[in-house]
Amino acid sequence: MAKKVFEEIRGISDPILEGISNGWVTLDAGDYSEHATLEADVAIIGTGAGGGTTAEILAKAGLKVLLIEEGPLKSTNDFKMDERQAYKDLYQENAGRMNKDGSMSILQGRCVGGTTVINWTSSFRTPEQTLQYWGEQFDTKGVSKGEMAPWFDKMEKRLNIAPWAFAPNENNAVLSRGADALSIPWKTIPRNVAGCWNLGYCGTGCPTNAKQSMLVTTIPSAMDEGSQLLYSARAERLIIENDKVTGIEVTALDKGYRPTGVKLTVKATTVVLAAGGINGPAMMLRSKAPDPKGLVGKRTFFHPTTFSFASFENEINPYYGAPQSIYSDHFQWDSVDGPVGYKLEVPPLHPGLTSVLLMGHGEAQFEELNKLPNLSSMIALLRDGFNDDSEGGSIELADDGSAIIDYEINDYLWEGVKRTHLTMAELQFAAGAKAVRAAHTEAKWETSWEASKAAINKLDYSASRALVGSAHVMGGMTMGEDLERCVVGSDGKYHYLDNLYVIDGSVFPTSIGANPQLSIYGMACRLATGLAEKLTGRT
Amino acid sequence: MKTPLNQALPTTRRGFLQLGLMGTATLALGSTVATLTGCSSPLEQNSEYKFLQPNDREFFAALIPVVLNKSFPGDLTHEAGIKSTLLALDDLIYTLQYHNRIQMRQLFDALAMAPIRVMAGASWASWKDMSHEQINDFLIGWRDSMIQPKRMGYVSLSKLIGMCWYSQPESFVSTGYPGPPTKIPTPVTKKINTSPNLSTAENS
Repeated sequence: MAKKVFEEIRGISDPILEGISNGWVTLDAGDYSEHATLEADVAIIGTGAGGGTTAEILAKAGLKVLLIEEGPLKSTNDFKMDERQAYKDLYQENAGRMNKDGSMSILQGRCVGGTTVINWTSSFRTPEQTLQYWGEQFDTKGVSKGEMAPWFDKMEKRLNIAPWAFAPNENNAVLSRGADALSIPWKTIPRNVAGCWNLGYCGTGCPTNAKQSMLVTTIPSAMDEGSQLLYSARAERLIIENDKVTGIEVTALDKGYRPTGVKLTVKATTVVLAAGGINGPAMMLRSKAPDPKGLVGKRTFFHPTTFSFASFENEINPYYGAPQSIYSDHFQWDSVDGPVGYKLEVPPLHPGLTSVLLMGHGEAQFEELNKLPNLSSMIALLRDGFNDDSEGGSIELADDGSAIIDYEINDYLWEGVKRTHLTMAELQFAAGAKAVRAAHTEAKWETSWEASKAAINKLDYSASRALVGSAHVMGGMTMGEDLERCVVGSDGKYHYLDNLYVIDGSVFPTSIGANPQLSIYGMACRLATGLAEKLTGRT
Repeated sequence: MKTPLNQALPTTRRGFLQLGLMGTATLALGSTVATLTGCSSPLEQNSEYKFLQPNDREFFAALIPVVLNKSFPGDLTHEAGIKSTLLALDDLIYTLQYHNRIQMRQLFDALAMAPIRVMAGASWASWKDMSHEQINDFLIGWRDSMIQPKRMGYVSLSKLIGMCWYSQPESFVSTGYPGPPTKIPTPVTKKINTSPNLSTAENS
C-alpha cells in the first residue's frame, strides 16, 4: 500500500502576503466600481517568465513599472497541492484549454507569475542548433550561442538553476534505467529550485517557496522597487495613434473570470507585451495593430507531446518526488530540419491529470487508475517548426474576441508521434515494465516489446485517437530582421509600432527543442536590459 | 438573475457539430432546433449552476457512473458523488473560452433531443432511462467512430468527467493515491490590504 512521504507542511512564509502588508501596491481590477486611469513609465502585459524578468530589470533601472495580469493573485498560503483548486486558480481555462479541433490539450498558467508558478521546473538553455536556425532562416541578430551565454549565465544565477543533485524519483529512474539498458545517453535535468523538498507538487504551485518562479523572485523584487501590480485585469486592446501605443484598454474580471463591466485605462510611455504565444497575438489582433504581411499569430508552436504508460511490479509512486529530473536528447537532432526530432522526459502522475492522459472510460480505465501507485509514464516532446511541413498554428479570434488556437497535427507530426510511441515502449520494457500501453484510444496493454511494436505499427494515427498534449506555448510574434517572415525586431521592438516591445516566448521563430522557460528568461534578460538602456540612456 | 447562456450564443453554428458530414450535420441541426423551439432548458433562477442546465445535468448524471465505473462513488454516496462532480463540471465548462464553451452547448443541446440522439448512435430513451450498457455502447461508438467530431466528443466528455472526479479527494480510495501532505498556511500578522489603493489611480 502506497504511503504519504510527507504528512504535513507548516511554517512556510508567504512572500506575497508579507510584501502586501509591507506596502506593495497590488490592485485587484475586480474591486473597481468605475473607470479609472493608471499611469506608468512602462506597462508590462503579462507576469510570467517574460513579464516577470522584464519587470525586475526595468524597475531596478529606476523606471516606474505597472504589471498587468489577467489571472488572479495567488501565493504560497494558497498552494495546497490540490489539483482541483490549482487548475481552477492557476491554469488557463481550468486546465481544459485545447486547440480548435480538440486534438491537443494545452496546459498554460493563468495567474500572477504565469506558467512559472505551475511548471515542472526543467530549465534548459536554448539549444545551439535552434539559435543557429533562427539566425540563418529569420535573420535574428544577437542570438548566437556565444552572444546568449552571458544572459543565460545571469538568469541561471538569479533563479538558482542547477542540475538536480538528488536521486531521481522512480518514475524518472525508468527513463535512465531503460536508456542505460539500450545504451542510449541521458542526462540530469537542471531545475530552478532552492531548498527543494522533493515533494512532487510543482504543478499545483510550490507550497514551500523552493521553486524560483517569478512569483517569489523577480516580481517581489520589482514590487520592492515600487512597481504596481494590477491583476484580474485583461488587456483588451492597445489604443494606437500614429504608429504609437497611447494606452491600453483593460477589462476588469470578477472571481469567476468574467468581465465586471468596468473598464480601466493604462497609460504608459512604453508598453511591453509578455502575454505568451496565444493571448499576446490575440490581443494584437483585437487591437488591429498594423501588420502589413498578416504575420501576427502565425507560426505558433507547442512541442506536441505524446505519452506512453507502463505498469511495474514495484511501486513507482509517480505523484511524489521532483517531477522531472532525467531527459534524453538522443532522438532530437539526427537532422535539424528533417523528420521531426523529440526530447524524452517524464511527467508526474496525479490522479486528475492522469485520468485525462489515459484517455478512456469504464472498467478498462478503472483498472488502470486503480493501480496508479505502480504506473509510470514517459513523454516525448516533438520539436515543431523546423521543416516546411511544420509551419505551426495560427491564432484566430472567436466572436467575443477570445483566442482560437488553430493548430493541426498533420502527417509530418503524426509520423513522429508513431516513432515516439515505439521508442518509449522499447525504453519502458528495457527498464523492466510488466506491460506498456501507448496513449491512444485503440492501444491495449502489451506485455512484451515485440507485441507492443507490432500493435503500434497497426494503430491509426489521427486526431482524437492518439493523445497529444502541450505545456509549451511558443511563437506567434516571430523575431528577426526578415520582414517577410518577422514582426518583432531583434531588439524586441514591434516592427510597426514605435513604443511596443514584445518580450516573451512568442518571439521564438520556432519551437525550442527543450522546455522553454530558461529560453524565455535568457531572451527576456537580453531584451529588457537593452530596453532599460534605451529608456534611461544609461548602460 | 443569471443570463441564460443560450441567448448569448449565435444560432448559426460552426465547429464541432457542423463539419458537413452526415451525422454531424444532423447534430448541428438538432442543436439549432433545440434552441429555436425552446426544447433546450434554460438555467433556473438562482441556480447554483453557472452553465449546466437541467438537461445537461441529467445527461452527465447518466454518464458519470458509466465513465467512472467502480471508482464511483468512492467515499461518497451516489447522490453526493453526482452532485460534487456536476458542480466541478459546471465550474470547469464555465471557465472554458467562448469557442469551446459553444461546442459544449451545441453538444448538450443536440444530445438532449431523442431523434438526434438516435442518429448520433445513442438510444431513443432519455439519458436517465438508459441502461449502463446502452450508455457504454454509445461511448464506444463515438470513441471508435470514423467521424473526428464524434471522437472529439468522446474524448471531451470522458476527459471532463475524469478530471472533475479524480481530482476530488473522495476518489483517492479508488486509485491508491495516498494524497498530498496537509498544508498549514502561515498567517501574516500585519493588516493585509488587497483592495485597490485608489489614491494611486486617477479617477476619470
